[in-house]
Amino acid sequence: MIGRMPLAMLGLALALTGCHLRAADADEPRYSAAALYNLGNSYARAGKPGLAVLNYERASLLAPNDPDIAANLRFVRASSHLPSESTGRFTRAVTVANPTVVSWLGVAGLAVLGASTLLGAVSSRRRWMRHAVTALGAALVGFTVCNAVVLWPTLHAAVVVTGATPVRVSPVPMGDPLFTLPEAETVKIAAEHEDFVLIRTAAGKTGWVSRANIVPVVPGESLP
Amino acid sequence: MRPDFLRGGLLALMVYLCAAAPAMGIASLINATLQPSQISMGESAELTITSSGSSMQPITLPEVAGLELRIIGQSHRIEIINGATLVTTALIVRVTPQAVGIFTIPGITPKSEPLVLRVNPDGSSNSSTLGSLSSGKSPAGARADGIRLTADGSAFVRLILPKREVYVGESIPVDIEVGMRDGFVTSLNGLPTLTGADFTLNNLSRQPERVPKVIDGKEFTLLTWHSLLAAVKPGKFSLSVESPLTVRIRTRPQRESLLEDSLGDPFMQNFFGATVSKEITVASPPSDLTVLSLPSAGRPPAFSGAVGSFTIASDLSSATAAAGDPLTLRMHVSGAGNFDRVDSTMLERLDAWKTYPPKSSFKPSDPVGYKGEKTFEQPLIASKPGVQTLPGVTFSYFDPATRRYETARSAPLAVTISPSLADTSSSVPPASVAAAAATGAGTPAAPPSVSLRPDHLAAGREAGQNSLSPLYLQPRFLALPSLLSLAFAGGWLRLRRRASDSNGSRADRDRGVAQATHHAVMELESAARAGNATRFFNAARTAMLATVGAGLDAEGEEIRQLFALADEANYSADQPTTTEFERWIEIVRQRLLRGKPP
Repeated sequence: MIGRMPLAMLGLALALTGCHLRAADADEPRYSAAALYNLGNSYARAGKPGLAVLNYERASLLAPNDPDIAANLRFVRASSHLPSESTGRFTRAVTVANPTVVSWLGVAGLAVLGASTLLGAVSSRRRWMRHAVTALGAALVGFTVCNAVVLWPTLHAAVVVTGATPVRVSPVPMGDPLFTLPEAETVKIAAEHEDFVLIRTAAGKTGWVSRANIVPVVPGESLP
Repeated sequence: MRPDFLRGGLLALMVYLCAAAPAMGIASLINATLQPSQISMGESAELTITSSGSSMQPITLPEVAGLELRIIGQSHRIEIINGATLVTTALIVRVTPQAVGIFTIPGITPKSEPLVLRVNPDGSSNSSTLGSLSSGKSPAGARADGIRLTADGSAFVRLILPKREVYVGESIPVDIEVGMRDGFVTSLNGLPTLTGADFTLNNLSRQPERVPKVIDGKEFTLLTWHSLLAAVKPGKFSLSVESPLTVRIRTRPQRESLLEDSLGDPFMQNFFGATVSKEITVASPPSDLTVLSLPSAGRPPAFSGAVGSFTIASDLSSATAAAGDPLTLRMHVSGAGNFDRVDSTMLERLDAWKTYPPKSSFKPSDPVGYKGEKTFEQPLIASKPGVQTLPGVTFSYFDPATRRYETARSAPLAVTISPSLADTSSSVPPASVAAAAATGAGTPAAPPSVSLRPDHLAAGREAGQNSLSPLYLQPRFLALPSLLSLAFAGGWLRLRRRASDSNGSRADRDRGVAQATHHAVMELESAARAGNATRFFNAARTAMLATVGAGLDAEGEEIRQLFALADEANYSADQPTTTEFERWIEIVRQRLLRGKPP
């Protein structure tokens, strides 16, 4: 009734899911929220606020609602005389689960949405139930999209890990310094050029910083 | 400048003489002479009006376009010849031309002959009078100390060269002296300049040094400029410097100015109207200079044109750094020479280092920048940790003292590169930090802060992730929702198409049946009107067959074929074969079993 090709794609999707889960089990995990949190604590005690904030930020990506991570992140920022960002109700709502769970919820929502749509095309019975299932699927997909939107800035943020980092007017070491960044400040990455990164501070100031002075919150992430 | 009472006094004296002449019983006789009769622009001639006799007529100076006539003095002489008193009065008028040309000065009296004055362009006059006037260019004949005064002794210019043989591109410090006799030179109208295009004067000091100097018993103000002289091409040259000045020049022949000279004070000379201002250009005596080409033999590839005597040294901004941190390698070139040609690319390529073009700055130790130190700063970024050695930097130049190319080399520099903080942020933390993090026990490297919440004990048992990037942004995971979307979209499209096809075929069939019915009814009505029973029933049978066969294409065709065979069996002798009988038996049986009317 549905056709061979869609069924083949559905089978391939299920096979991919199995492969993904098996690969996730096989690979040695590199990050855990607790380990990153403990690492941040260790850096904080060692007097390295930049690396402490970096690891807290990473830990909060995996465990967004962990109160210990948020408290220690605020404490280290306050110790470095940096303001802490306040999170709104919407942000807290869409980051109630970690991004991995949100990803699977999004896939499940997509499956429910697709199945209910196909059922509606085949049969017209139990229409109210079909509509409810469709709304549930759409809500799950929307929840995932909102989570991505809220996390997007953090995914392209970086933390200053050295003290009095010079921000230059051009991406060369001899570029004239515009201002300096304090250690542990979180900045947005706007562009890259060789060994330099164009950053934007929370105050809206921009300039070029050497890659050696900042570390992206998500390794390997750079340009948005 | 000249006081008005002087002019008034002279005129009163002239009027007195004119009035006294008749009393003396001597008839007045007026004579006028012009000396010289040929001058250059910028010079003046003297018109002397002599009145003799017992009386003197009032004199009105003629007006000549292009000439300025001005009374500058008067003298009178009383002679007694054979008991008779002879009074002679001379009125001295300065004639200054305003333009080049030949001018005619009308006679002072109606009986006097006109005077002719020829005015030549500046510098072309061969006048030998007015010796105090300068023609603009100083004549040859310098003193032993290189000073050559102008003809009137008011100024001189001197170029002091440290040597007489230089190389192309070489800079040598030179001093330019301009001596101005106090009171004679009123202004300096510009900076000294070279007379040729074969040399350049660089870094000429804006404000000269000013010192008093006595030359031949006369007071001069000596202005000294320091500069760098550089030759642009090889050869033998005669070099000179000139300077524009404004001087005061005598308006009377020197032999007639003994009183003024005896006064000595230029102010007094000005007081008596003996000088005028004139712009002149004073040149220094020519200096011979030989310019040699730089030898091509032995020229280093990195030679940038630096000529002089230099030494170099190098240092690093820090002996330790983290990988990725910029370091600054500095090369100091100090000595004496043409620092504007001192250049270096320093370390262009280096394994395990990223190099940037250097920038330079110069700190002179003398006013003209002949001596000093030029510093090159090259940013370097180490890409690998470990103890690394930077090779020494080199600098090539030509030394005019040794007359050969030299290459200065600095000592290599050692630097310790530690791993980057960015690399150690999560994977390779410091030993103490790593230990604390691994155990999860919160073993502090420093006294724990009371405000930090404690470590999580479940660090080792918690399920980890391979990436901090959310799954929904990982390409491998994104294939899953993509395929799901494609599958559902494909299935939905398939269902839509099937429904569309079904609706289309049913509509076609209904349309065909309606047309057949319409044609059959028309045929039946036509046969009925004609009273043709055979035609009527044949049409009725055909219509019924068409109606039956329209719903099921294949079966309708079989039914029509069966009826045709039945007609053939009634009206012909043809007999179907055994196989055909069996086929039709099977078709009829299936139709009857399905319960549908044939």
